[in-house]
Amino acid sequence: MKRYFAICALSAFAQAIPSDKQLLDPAWINEGRHQYRLACGGCHGNGGEGGRGPNLADGATVKRAKNERLFGAIKNGVPGTDMPGFNWDDEKTWRMVAFLRSLSAPAMQAIVPGDVENGRAIFHGKGQCTGCHMIRGGGGFIGPDLTDAGATRTVKQLREGIVAPSDRIAEGFQTVKTVAVDGTKLNGVVKNRNNYSLQVLDEGGKLHLIDAASLREINLEVKSLMPGDYKTKLSAKEIDDLVAFLAKQSVRAEAK
Amino acid sequence: MKQLLFLTAAIALNAQVKHEDIAAGPGKNWLTYHGDFGAMRHSPLKQITRANAGNLVAKWTYHVDNALKLEATPIVYEGVMYLTNSNEVVALDARTGRRIWRYLDAHSQIRRVNRGVAILGDRVFFVTGDAHLVALHRSTGALLWSKRYADPSKGYVATLAPLALKDRVVVGVGGGDSGVRGFVAAMSASTGEELWRFYTVPLPSEFGADTWGKLNTDWGGAATWMHGTYDPELNLLYWPTGNPWPDLTKEERQGDNLFSCSVLAIDVATGKRKWHFQFTPGDTRDWDAQSIPVLINGDYKGKPRKLLLHPNRNGFFYVLDRVTGEFLSGTPFVDRLNWATGIGKDGRPLEIPKIQPNAVGIKNCPSLRGASNWMSPSFHPKTQLLYVPTLEQCDIYSTSGLPAAKLVGSMGGGVDPVPGEPGQFFLRAIDYKTGKKAWEYPMPGPGKMWGGTLTTAGDVLFAADDDGNLLALDPFNGKHLWHYSTGQNLTASPMTFEAGGKQFVTILAGTEVYTFGLFEPAK
Repeated sequence: MKRYFAICALSAFAQAIPSDKQLLDPAWINEGRHQYRLACGGCHGNGGEGGRGPNLADGATVKRAKNERLFGAIKNGVPGTDMPGFNWDDEKTWRMVAFLRSLSAPAMQAIVPGDVENGRAIFHGKGQCTGCHMIRGGGGFIGPDLTDAGATRTVKQLREGIVAPSDRIAEGFQTVKTVAVDGTKLNGVVKNRNNYSLQVLDEGGKLHLIDAASLREINLEVKSLMPGDYKTKLSAKEIDDLVAFLAKQSVRAEAK
Repeated sequence: MKQLLFLTAAIALNAQVKHEDIAAGPGKNWLTYHGDFGAMRHSPLKQITRANAGNLVAKWTYHVDNALKLEATPIVYEGVMYLTNSNEVVALDARTGRRIWRYLDAHSQIRRVNRGVAILGDRVFFVTGDAHLVALHRSTGALLWSKRYADPSKGYVATLAPLALKDRVVVGVGGGDSGVRGFVAAMSASTGEELWRFYTVPLPSEFGADTWGKLNTDWGGAATWMHGTYDPELNLLYWPTGNPWPDLTKEERQGDNLFSCSVLAIDVATGKRKWHFQFTPGDTRDWDAQSIPVLINGDYKGKPRKLLLHPNRNGFFYVLDRVTGEFLSGTPFVDRLNWATGIGKDGRPLEIPKIQPNAVGIKNCPSLRGASNWMSPSFHPKTQLLYVPTLEQCDIYSTSGLPAAKLVGSMGGGVDPVPGEPGQFFLRAIDYKTGKKAWEYPMPGPGKMWGGTLTTAGDVLFAADDDGNLLALDPFNGKHLWHYSTGQNLTASPMTFEAGGKQFVTILAGTEVYTFGLFEPAK
């Protein structure tokens, strides 16, 4: 008999677990966002990028955690840490899980409004994106590769990358101009740097591995090489379409 | 915009890594997993010598976040080092260890160790845990394509460094202990299109099918999880194969179980088998033949021959003619060996039937891990010796009597350590002409490691010990020259390269990449 009750309890719990589709519902995500602002932003940051508490947007732990695990952590807290249990009702807790998932969900898994075909036309035409970005080996190299853009970026990141590229320059894509002790000049993007060495990809696609001591000047640009005027150059709909196209880009999907 | 278009065109003008560059063997660069197609792992660099190896110091360390027991041998080309973690590739400035780019696969749901990249043209290639071959642009890490070549839902996984040659990339699969049907496949380096596939377990109509008893050969193991070697003159691949499945019981698979526990000579143009040699017919001890088939041209009984040297997990050191597959010799290279009295003239082991694993449990030597394993040996042309990480150990083997289940790693039995008989590692120098050891370097314990070896024209033998040390030894006599404690179990093989006019030595260990060079006094 005891066993019978245990099975009932389990199946009741199983029924309460929302489907993956339910967790993508924009209404659920919005309610979760609202609740997050009230209860969570103080420790985890308003954008979920961490502070006193862990990064919920990019952190590997949250990304890898199963939905049930996130549910349990919100409901019961995380023992041995400052994370308290919130003891909200199940649906409210699941809405929070939906919001947390949305923070790091790859764009290809999200519901994205916009016309993919028109986005493709803009990418290859009016937007002039292929001058700098590659998809499946076609295009330029000086900007980040976008072959897997939909699998590796959230919708928010795709959109911000287009309308406000200088807010957050992708790692390895800052523009640099150097002058060597002997006067030789070099322009390119700095893949990495510290006080002792720089790794620069030049405008001709050649990699330069440089001792900082051999340089007289290192001038780092604070603006992205990516044009900052897409917000005015493209209409709101065109930006939506471009985001929708990029959200579909995944190397494991059929080539499109 | 004009300027941007110019940039697009310019990248194609970068130097291309050609087949001939790889075939020339290591020099300043290290262009394939073993440095050379034949896996001698011998570098012509000689700034670091027997006389000055004692002055080696750490130059840089690169930490790999979320490392899964790093097992790669890095590739170095023009001062850039490429290496892998599970589902990850990084490109580093080889002089400083600073990262240039990183590719994290966003798709693979299977995490497995990974043994490195292959390089060809303007791209590097690696396999994901879920058996996709991925091509990346080597300057930027840009993703060019990703092709699935085996189905993970059927138990296939992938861990090996691909082998790039000519216009193609050759890959294999893991999953033999789950019962997969092993194969070797060649894919186009430009598109990833499959060019040929050779299954290591024959179907009922094929040669060798009658060596499998009642077993359905859709399942049979003989995985191909380790990198093969290649002779460009003969245009033959030498690919080692894993054990038959279920591992420890052959009730269902009476017979030799071709082509498990073998080396296969495969025509790289067509994917057809030229010859095979099976080391352990009808294996019941998990003795994959994944130790490296080392290719040398040498004198054998007064005649120059193209040879294949192979220290097998079963405890015998083999010399084969690699043109024909003819068996030349098989001699024990461990003392703890009780399953066979020797190797017959036909190359078959002279097995002692009563030593077979049974339900009660019986001591078998060598152990399940084998007398040697996938850790790389190396050959020094000057000493004519092969340096082999060797494990002296036995196990108690027992069969479970339970039917083996597919896809769950069910082996049909298991092993336990022999009480009071811990294993011990030795680095042994083997004279291939006699099969005898010239010298040995005993290791301190605890008898667990996966580190390989490297020799150089500076007459230094680099090797790993089972206490986490990278060692420099004298290849003539095994005398200790230098060591460095990495603080971690060593799980990869060392390599060497030159950048900025200086020779470096690199080994991956656990979670870090360590690079060493000669001490330079302050100016």
